Amino acid sequence: MSSLFKSELTLSESGFLFDHATGLTYTLNPTGQFIFRQMQKGVEGPEILTRLQEEFEVDETTARKDLDDFVRQLKEFELID
Amino acid sequence: MGINVAVTGMQATDNPAPGIGVIRCLHHPDRWQGEIIGLGYDVYDTGIYDEGLLDHTYLIPYPNQGSEQVYERLMYIHGQRRLDVIIPTLDSELALFQKLEARLKEAGIALYIPSVESVQRRAKANLVQFCKEAEITTPDTIVIREPGQLDQAVKEIGFPMMIKGVFYEAYRCQNIQDVQTHFNKIREKWGLPIIAQQVIKGEEFDVCCLGGEGGELLGAVPIRKIGLTDKGKAWAAITLRNEALLEFSRKILKELRWSGPCEMEIMKEERTDKLFLLEINPRFPAWVYLCAGANQNLPRLVVDLALGKPVKALPPAESGITFVRHATDLLCPLEYIENLTINGELHYRREK
Repeated sequence: MSSLFKSELTLSESGFLFDHATGLTYTLNPTGQFIFRQMQKGVEGPEILTRLQEEFEVDETTARKDLDDFVRQLKEFELID
Repeated sequence: MGINVAVTGMQATDNPAPGIGVIRCLHHPDRWQGEIIGLGYDVYDTGIYDEGLLDHTYLIPYPNQGSEQVYERLMYIHGQRRLDVIIPTLDSELALFQKLEARLKEAGIALYIPSVESVQRRAKANLVQFCKEAEITTPDTIVIREPGQLDQAVKEIGFPMMIKGVFYEAYRCQNIQDVQTHFNKIREKWGLPIIAQQVIKGEEFDVCCLGGEGGELLGAVPIRKIGLTDKGKAWAAITLRNEALLEFSRKILKELRWSGPCEMEIMKEERTDKLFLLEINPRFPAWVYLCAGANQNLPRLVVDLALGKPVKALPPAESGITFVRHATDLLCPLEYIENLTINGELHYRREK
């Protein structure tokens, strides 16, 4: 199955993310963990936005900002293209 | 009857030799059934005092004292202990063991070390040529055989650059003063040739490998070093699952027809993600115990290979296993020092 992520990543319950190919580790806050798990399941951006609003009871502007920030950081760390 | 294994490289200070790591692998997951014999060069090779790991310790002559002296000493130890296998772990003694391999075999002592030809092809002074022939990427490198060639090498490679001895030591240089300082330092200590090498900007990875017949990759544990001492040695590292590193290592071993253990130092260029071979160390790394932790006990496999037992390539190493090196103090009575100083041997396990 093809993945959105450039390498194999494992996220623990505590939010500790491990990249198996590089050995790098990251810490995700609850919002990041939620978005990451949605992306892992293959959920598309607009649906993640809706689910974020429901999960954290925030408005669309806040949810969009969180999603955009998270995706930007994933790109910065070269975890996605 | 257990298999008796002797291991060299027992110095384990801040830049440890691999011997203790190899022995810890042999004792993993359960204690080794035969005797483990530590072969030290000096009374203060620290690892020889680790009585929890060793059954016996013997001092042997340094390789530069000549192969005949080393052979005679090994035959004495063999007569006392029956050495089934020796695992040499130091670069500086490899040529000697290659020279003695056939005679040791005849005496009933097995080794599993790479051939002279394989080792020569990957020598630092020959690595560029090998990589060119095998189409393996490696940083631009100039082998300086005369002091007059240094200026030209600096011009061609530019800064930053690495200055390396052919056996030991490597320094990153930012300017001509750095180059001259380190060039002179290495030249004084080890002589020429000296290697000038391009610096590849990126991340460094190491792979501990074991090559079987014809250079088949039997096991490989890729790691990322996550903590370095001031000498650049790892004191913490994590195992990886990285197919690109494994494929790169597999190709290199096959091209070299490498039968034995080695440590590959590989750089992944930040800009292109391309892998560059920096060096191949012709022995296990000091961090080899991590391999056992990642379910690839390569030293145990070496014993099987040395004894000619049939072996299979190991399943992939487990990723995410971490080691942290922790220095500890061993206490020993004066008689240990005395025995090694006077007799050159020490026996921890009581004779039956």
